[in-house]
Amino acid sequence: MTDQQTTDVAEPEEETSNLPPKVPRLPPGEWMKKNLFSSVGNSILTVVFVLVILAITRGLLGFAFSPERRWDATATNMRLLFAGAYPQNQFVRMWVSLGIVVALGGLSTGVWRAGGRMYLTSLLLKGYGVGGAVVLVGILAPFSGSARLSYFLVGGLLIAASFAVQSATDEDTTVGTLAVGLVGVSIAVGSFWVIPYGHHAFIDGAQVVSDGTVAATTKGPLTVMVILAVLTYFLGREIADRVDAGWPRKVLSLSWLASPVVIVFFVLRDPDFDYGHIATTEVPIFLAYAVGGGLLLFALASPRIGEVGRIIAAVTLIAAAATFLTPMLQVIRILALMLAVFALAAPTFSGNRAARLRYVTVWAGVVLGLLWLITAINSPATVESNSSFFTGGLALTLIVASFTMILSFPLGVILALARTSNMPLFRVMSTTYIEFVRGVPFITILIFFSVLFPLFLPENMEVTEIAAVTIGFTLFSAAYMAENVRGGLQSIRRGQYEAAEALGMTTAQKTVFIILPQALRVSIPPLVGQTIGTYKETSLLAIIGLFDLLFVARSLIPNQTSFIGSVREQLLFASVIYWMGAYAMSRASQNLERKLGVGER
Amino acid sequence: MAQVGALILVLGALGFLVSQAGDNLRARSIPTGFDFIEQPPGIQVGEGIQTRDFETGGRALWVGMVNTLRIASAGIVAATVLGVIVGLARLSHNWIVQKVSSVFVETLRNIPLLVQIIFIFTVFTTLGNVSLDSGPIHGWLHISNKGLSVPRVFGLNGSFQWLAFMAIGALVARWAHHHQVRKQEETGQLGYPIVAAGGVLSVFGIVGWFAHPVMGFLGPVFGLIADALDGLPEETLQLILAVLSIVVAILWIRRFLKSMSSGGGRAKLTDDDWFRMIFAFAGSVLVAFAVLVVWPGLSSWLLNSGRDFFQLLDDRFGSGNGGRPFDGKRPDIVKPGNFANYGPAGLTLTPFFAAVFFGVVLYTAAFIGEIVRGGILAVPKGQTEAASAIGLKRSQALRHIILPQAFRIVLPPLGNQYLNLTKNTSLAIAVGYADVVQVGQTIYNQTGRTLPVMAIWMLFYLACSLTISVVVNFFNVRLKLVER
Amino acid sequence: MSDAASASVRDLSGATNMIECEGVSKWYGDFQALNSVSATIKEQEVVVVLGPSGSGKSTWIRCINKLEHHQEGRIVVDGVELTNDLRNIEKIRSEVGMVFQQFNLFPHLTVLDNITLAPIWVRKKPRGEAESAARALLDRVGIPEQADKYPGQLSGGQQQRVAIARALAMEPRVMLFDEPTSALDPEMIKEVLDVMKGLARSGMTMIVVTHEMGFAREVADRIIFMEDGMIVEVGTPEHFFTNPTEDRTKLFLSQIL
Ligand SMILES: Nc1ncnc2c1ncn2[C@@H]1O[C@H](COP(=O)(O)OP(=O)(O)OP(=O)(O)O)[C@@H](O)[C@H]1O
Ligand SMILES: [Mg+2]
Repeated sequence: MTDQQTTDVAEPEEETSNLPPKVPRLPPGEWMKKNLFSSVGNSILTVVFVLVILAITRGLLGFAFSPERRWDATATNMRLLFAGAYPQNQFVRMWVSLGIVVALGGLSTGVWRAGGRMYLTSLLLKGYGVGGAVVLVGILAPFSGSARLSYFLVGGLLIAASFAVQSATDEDTTVGTLAVGLVGVSIAVGSFWVIPYGHHAFIDGAQVVSDGTVAATTKGPLTVMVILAVLTYFLGREIADRVDAGWPRKVLSLSWLASPVVIVFFVLRDPDFDYGHIATTEVPIFLAYAVGGGLLLFALASPRIGEVGRIIAAVTLIAAAATFLTPMLQVIRILALMLAVFALAAPTFSGNRAARLRYVTVWAGVVLGLLWLITAINSPATVESNSSFFTGGLALTLIVASFTMILSFPLGVILALARTSNMPLFRVMSTTYIEFVRGVPFITILIFFSVLFPLFLPENMEVTEIAAVTIGFTLFSAAYMAENVRGGLQSIRRGQYEAAEALGMTTAQKTVFIILPQALRVSIPPLVGQTIGTYKETSLLAIIGLFDLLFVARSLIPNQTSFIGSVREQLLFASVIYWMGAYAMSRASQNLERKLGVGER
Repeated sequence: MAQVGALILVLGALGFLVSQAGDNLRARSIPTGFDFIEQPPGIQVGEGIQTRDFETGGRALWVGMVNTLRIASAGIVAATVLGVIVGLARLSHNWIVQKVSSVFVETLRNIPLLVQIIFIFTVFTTLGNVSLDSGPIHGWLHISNKGLSVPRVFGLNGSFQWLAFMAIGALVARWAHHHQVRKQEETGQLGYPIVAAGGVLSVFGIVGWFAHPVMGFLGPVFGLIADALDGLPEETLQLILAVLSIVVAILWIRRFLKSMSSGGGRAKLTDDDWFRMIFAFAGSVLVAFAVLVVWPGLSSWLLNSGRDFFQLLDDRFGSGNGGRPFDGKRPDIVKPGNFANYGPAGLTLTPFFAAVFFGVVLYTAAFIGEIVRGGILAVPKGQTEAASAIGLKRSQALRHIILPQAFRIVLPPLGNQYLNLTKNTSLAIAVGYADVVQVGQTIYNQTGRTLPVMAIWMLFYLACSLTISVVVNFFNVRLKLVER
Repeated sequence: MSDAASASVRDLSGATNMIECEGVSKWYGDFQALNSVSATIKEQEVVVVLGPSGSGKSTWIRCINKLEHHQEGRIVVDGVELTNDLRNIEKIRSEVGMVFQQFNLFPHLTVLDNITLAPIWVRKKPRGEAESAARALLDRVGIPEQADKYPGQLSGGQQQRVAIARALAMEPRVMLFDEPTSALDPEMIKEVLDVMKGLARSGMTMIVVTHEMGFAREVADRIIFMEDGMIVEVGTPEHFFTNPTEDRTKLFLSQIL
């Protein structure tokens, strides 16, 4: 590994040096000698690997470009793959949802000033690589003469362009990574306007193919997305320049958290509110809870209230539990429970007048949000589809994954705290739960929730299969999440606890203000890893027959009369989609890890 | 106080859910008994130690469990080997080897395992039918929509005698190995332990090929043991088992206490330590109780199967088992178009098995590769430097310094991967490999016993997980670096 | 003081050159860590290297052991020039022992195995012989009773003495010490320094990077002062501590003494 060290030395880091080092960039011949043919064994390895790679590439290309492949099945069913049975005339909602995510992404990139700079030379090196690969594809794939020529042309152009740029610029020119990304995406989207990929559609159950570029309903919105990304990015930068960076970041983080809920229940599903009912029922409930609960909390958050506060909080909890004994609106019960939680937590956030007011404001916000959400979920939707859920395909995959992550996070934190607490009962309960869940395969839990969960519910409660399954995902994921958080908790040194204690903090305050923030920071990389895992695990939805991406690719498309038996193509396409998502996340987490300095020695 | 409150809350919620479920089950008259375990299920499973005409549902589930264990254990071995190779390749100085292995890792671990399994399965099913024209490739390998066949070796009657012969050979080889190592250590001359052991083994193998009938005397010996077992009263075995279980627990507790006390006084026992000891003792008492009271049939079953086992050995070792111990056959099509008749003509992986097996192995290998790489890189740089400073070569440093330490770092996450692999074999249900989940599903579709079947699944996997973590933990404790 | 004086007037002019460095330069990326370092160390000579943090002391002695490779200049150890040739490196490494600030003992091996590993595998000594030699060395560094413990069970001072024994087990002709006492508590420093003094008296060629001025005064034949990757001043301890010529040396001494 000392050798490892020496090969890495070539990266220049400080630009302020008075003495020029020997530039150690090796000429291609020497480089090959050092890295490929340094010994007899190495040379043999190199040759064998090159041959194997060529064989595999040739096989793959032969498969992908064979005229028997039904890639038109993929092209025609694009909508099905991405959104399942979402009604076509409402499709703009899908684009709006994507637009929300893109806008948030652009704003965040701007506000956090993400994106670094990379050396142009390393980019050009990639240019050569890609160009060479394109030429290689041209050589290996079973093409007709003209198609092959076009591959040679494109590859050659790429190489030539890289060369031209390289000779025109000097060694240490750098470019922004964001700019590079933007150029790449623009080229891809731009090609939809220029290159005649062909236009595939299903019209009244029959496949229709026409020449020309991609449908305007695809390329138009995509172009808008690119523009939106750029605009929001600059907007984000402006905001970051003008105001103190703290609160835009907070607002954005909250928006990210809220976005899945907003997208799923308000944009995609679009509740058909009964405003009369809202005025006569929801508004009074809100006022009662916001004002009454607010006053209660304001009193409880007083630092001088002492033991009386606890008793009042306990009474609140009992009252909340009692609401389950008599029939009433579900919202009232949930809000009562929520109020009890806030009451119990009040001493942790107690303080001066301003702090108490802030606590009450947060409470009112929570009441508003919950009420709004529950009402939306219970209102009939304007978007109806003929399948069991209003959307499917990749959209379903993403919905389940993001809800799982958001819901399992607090649960996981609680489990982790319980497992590390010094109260044996909590520890035993939490440990039992975690080890049980981690000891059984996810599919058994999933089948349980899809088949048996309804049996565990009270008579009058209805839960859709998707919701049941999402709960299963959440409970499963929380156990793993808890283990990651526990890792973070254990990495915190005793001194931190002691310092917090020395400041006279209560256990709850210590945990909320000192321990958790540090522990969560340490657990971010494994948590991202878990997000990737959940994302991949959503493919199991296909086993229980929900219309996720894998199900569409494996079972729906290959059974359409025009595309019988095109399973492998669809699976390959789905693999690429899954791969892109997971790979992007894992790269992001690696960058994050580097930034946080975790894993550095 | 808070604990009791929380406990009551959790128990209350659980009780509510369970009573709710009970009501609902009764209302919809869904059967929940475990009686299906005792009754003939009338199902067929795809492959396994038995595929049809099951006497009981329990037997069918057992077949599924064996299939799970089969694929999981083979998968663990294969994934470890492949994963270690990938991990080392990622640290290779050969650019292309390094790149290929990182592409391997980045591709496989970022695509859902289920997609990979289904893809492999689909590739098999879209292959051509078995036919005489598309015969085995050079007679060695046959791939078709009926799976993958490779030549197979199978034991003839003499194989048991030969194996007994080899057991002696292994003992001698061990001694030879030891001898050579000692020689090297004592005299400084280079010894050849591996060569010596291998040589002894091969000599025994070759001589045994012809001389194995001399082991025939073992037959009567096993026969005697079988008779002895037959004569043993049930109650005696019951007693022995019960006492044994308690004695083992006590011995374990003693050892545990001893390990807690180092040098001077005993370290203060934490709640967890007490919990462990009480748990161990209570467990052993429970086992004893079970053997004596709850399940008295167990000991007679043990006795009978032990007797049968030794009688079988008696048969196998008995006279008249001369001749070649082993034979091999290449994959061959016995009856065109009918794959079921492959018979002993080749070792065949069904597409179901192959899809799940290759799926989990490749996927897990990608993760193990990363773990191995991380483990090697996590050995502090100072260790490598110190090794080279005292003059060790790179390969020696790797063998004596880096790998032993990397192994300790790698072990816990590796154990996790083994757990994952075992659990992931349950994805077999997507392609219909007859593992415990698939067989269970077939059974509950037929009998409606969803809840009991799920309970059996979970217990089975919990037992597997527990076994793996116990094994990994055992090594982990044994290999732990000694600290103050 | 008289003891120190007698050490520093040791006449080594007739001794052969053990280590010769000529214009050695090394860069980490763009950063120059060694700037044309030239020095000659005679057989049996004890050289102490001083200098502020980051001045390149570690880098230099690590170059001598080829743990780092220099880009310019020549390093000759016992008549063998350090090149990229693997055989040379192995020869040098078994002749040059090194002791690290962080001990770098192998935590998975017992003390005895730590010491015998290299003699058995590199020198191909019989185990029995290697073990008795190791026990003798442990005796010499004052911890004969610790042979069968693991490094994790020893105190810092004991660990460092094991590390010295491990280096000595290869019967090196030169020993390099990179701040061997900086990771130790004050009461442990003495036990390690005593071992080093004994080693120096026995005639071992040594290069010692240290901040222990007492040790430098008492044991060193010469002191080399480095700053910014360059050798600023070389001299006997007497010269160095009483009237250094260079301003930077004076500044350094005023800060440290
Ligand atoms: N691997 C490396 N990569 C980059 N720079 C390095 C590396 N090792 C050392 N340096 C730099 O080289 C310079 C000299 O380092 P060196 O460790 O030799 O200093 P030193 O004199 O031993 O300091 P100290 O007394 O703190 O140990 C320092 O500025 C250091 O930052
Ligand atoms: Mg240093």
